[in-house]
Amino acid sequence: MTDDAVRGLLRELAEADASAKAPPELELRLRKEFRAHHRRKSWRSLGFWVLPVPVAAVIFLAILTLVHRRPPTESANGVSINTPVTISSEQALRPETSRPAATTPAPRASVLSAPETEEVVTEFFPLMDPAPPFQRGQLLRVELPASVMQIVGLPVREEHLADPVQADVLIGEEGLPRAIRFVTFEVR
Amino acid sequence: MSETDETLLAQMLKGDEVAFTELYGRRQGPVYRFALHMTRSVPSAEDITQDVFLALIESGRRFDASRGTVLSFLFGIARNHVLRRIEKDSRTELVTEIDEHLSDGSLMEDLTKRETIEHVRCAVASLPPVYREAVVLCDLEDVSYEEASIILECPVGTVRSRLSRGRLILMDKLARHVVRKCV
Repeated sequence: MTDDAVRGLLRELAEADASAKAPPELELRLRKEFRAHHRRKSWRSLGFWVLPVPVAAVIFLAILTLVHRRPPTESANGVSINTPVTISSEQALRPETSRPAATTPAPRASVLSAPETEEVVTEFFPLMDPAPPFQRGQLLRVELPASVMQIVGLPVREEHLADPVQADVLIGEEGLPRAIRFVTFEVR
Repeated sequence: MSETDETLLAQMLKGDEVAFTELYGRRQGPVYRFALHMTRSVPSAEDITQDVFLALIESGRRFDASRGTVLSFLFGIARNHVLRRIEKDSRTELVTEIDEHLSDGSLMEDLTKRETIEHVRCAVASLPPVYREAVVLCDLEDVSYEEASIILECPVGTVRSRLSRGRLILMDKLARHVVRKCV
């Protein structure tokens, strides 16, 4: 057998296997991973300052609006706020997924008027990374457009971006928003 | 006009999923076949292909166009995974069926051809990895010596000598097969 004969046989093998390829489900898995990777990346790339800016801007706008609207009893024009509640760091950072409406620190007419609903809150999403030490702060209930949820990485459908959502904003002693969590009301 | 691999890579690194899908569709075949010929195991070839493109998603920025093409970058990642796998798992599941394409010739001719091809495939898979990778890249995947030298991280002269030595071993194995068949 000659070198040319070996090359010829190798060419035949190459031609026979030319159509061999990875299964289609692998492409689906990889595309899914690609999307997940870029979601994580875009979340990380927001970094220290960029992340708080849009959220803080919306929140400060909400607060500013409310300063000129007294008494802040009900939501209107997309923004509402409750009486500030002073809380400690332990309270603020305690994970919480669901709690009865009756345990909320301040009376909220709009919430309590529906006695059969239960308040469900998400975990707190930090707005500062890294966050300075937190001793005391205030928890403010505000109403924001749902697009803010997207900023912190929560999925929101396109058609609901402008819908109002309630959120608790944790304000640090220095007056900056430290963290945010979102609130929904579920019928018991 | 289609985009180059480098352009697609740049686009996918910015989060363009269409670019990733295009690049994957274009290059998964060679990567998969390289892994398959090196490991002779379909599950391993699938795993390695997955690992290669996951690495591209995670670390595609490490690609340096001055050091070779995107394909040679992918082959380089695949090679690392293949060698690790060969080292870790010497017993691999044999490929039972790859070639399902019979030619238009007679059944006997087809069977003979299939048998011969299968034997060549076995012979390639039985080469020591250092020669196998040179043969698979240069003779089966048509990679140039220069690109192979980048992928295999050795001088072009070494690629040539490994290829030559690999073909000699194959010649011996295949000649013995022909003799056995004729006896």
